[in-house]
Amino acid sequence: MTILVVLLSLAAGAYFIAVLESWAVHGRLQISRPAISALALLGRESLLARTPDRLFFEAGPVLLLVAGLLAVSVIPLAPGLIVTDLATGALFLNAALAYVLVALIMAGWGPNGAYGMIGGWRFLGQFVAYAMLIVMPITAVAMRAESLSTVDIVTSQAALWNIAYQPLGFVLFVVAAMGLCWLPPLDLPTAEGDLAGGVEAEYTGVRLAVLRLARMVVILALAGATVTFYLGGWLGPWLPAWAWSGIKILIVAGLMVSAGRLVPRVREARYLELSWKLGIPLALTNIFVVGVIALVVPI
Amino acid sequence: MTVQLIFLAFFGAAAVWFGIVVFRTHSMVRSALALLFSQTAVGLMFLVMQAEFLGVLQIMMMATEMSVMAIFMVMFMMDPGGMGAMEMTHQKRLSLWSGGVGLVAAVAVIWLADWGPTVPDIPGAAEQAADLGRELLGRSMFIFQSAGLTILTAMVAATMVAIAPIEESSK
Repeated sequence: MTILVVLLSLAAGAYFIAVLESWAVHGRLQISRPAISALALLGRESLLARTPDRLFFEAGPVLLLVAGLLAVSVIPLAPGLIVTDLATGALFLNAALAYVLVALIMAGWGPNGAYGMIGGWRFLGQFVAYAMLIVMPITAVAMRAESLSTVDIVTSQAALWNIAYQPLGFVLFVVAAMGLCWLPPLDLPTAEGDLAGGVEAEYTGVRLAVLRLARMVVILALAGATVTFYLGGWLGPWLPAWAWSGIKILIVAGLMVSAGRLVPRVREARYLELSWKLGIPLALTNIFVVGVIALVVPI
Repeated sequence: MTVQLIFLAFFGAAAVWFGIVVFRTHSMVRSALALLFSQTAVGLMFLVMQAEFLGVLQIMMMATEMSVMAIFMVMFMMDPGGMGAMEMTHQKRLSLWSGGVGLVAAVAVIWLADWGPTVPDIPGAAEQAADLGRELLGRSMFIFQSAGLTILTAMVAATMVAIAPIEESSK
């Protein structure tokens, strides 16, 4: 039952994000647009490139979808409304999202095309940049909650949300999360304009539909993680818990999808440099500050 | 208990099978990712044995490590896609012997070692993570710190070797 509710809200959320993204890209708000393009994709011929790595080509989009769904399974939408409350939930989220990288490498390598392959390997470079900045802010969040369980992390923010407790970690995490779901300005693996779609270049029809849907799920998983770790999850006055989760996740996802489009695309070498020379020292500072606060004035 | 054993055997067989695939495929990327899925299967075995933290950690670490390894294999091998069906194995007799000796040694250790009494009740996942933390910051701290320092040294050394000296390249 819980799984069904989570899947349905995921589908609704994915549709909302798709509407918002098409609005941000095309400049026109059309509610029916994702449905029409989904129908078009399903009706279109699904081409197979010449001498592909068939196994990777087919498995890439599916693995991406599975990774997104597994990540969603540890995000609590309300007390009790979580697919599985693992004691290592925050770590499990990382483990599931690590397979986004594997899926993109497979999808990039599979079709035996230059653009796809460059896109896939570029994401590996991007991963080296963002990976530490996903894990280190989560460490600070877990330090405050004294638990890796996502439910415990939400309840630990009853007095003060983590966005106020550790704003530095919040900023680092959101930027890294945008890198993880390759949203502009960090959309290097698909990079329209210089890679002609990159990883998506050789995909058509049903396979492309699965790839795009999977990306929506990953975006929602990251928005859900941001809300769980920094914005108090389901906590909030007046409205029921699930409504607060839904509103917060959609707002965060909407901002992630649209805000980055105002900034020019970041080159991968620059992104790596910024992440390692600026991001990691800041993340370590964040861990230190949170440690001091947790020991001196426990809130 | 029986279901647990069946799953353990299944993931164990999967780990071995993917391990074999590593050497049976010509494609370097397939080979690297087969090794990844072999390690993921080992992680799933940890999960079946209710070692949640270790299992999740194994599944997470291997995904990134094997992907990085894949790009190095693609960079350094002559036929990374395996489309030329190039022979990539060498020193077969030596490999067979060392592999065989390794297998016999591993089986001997498994059979002959005294594994101590089986823990009757497994602590909860959160408690396991806490125990692991105490172990890492207590008895095993020295080992882990020296391992970390060794890896850091290797990383710095590898980077130094990889960077071409500026004076030489500008000539």
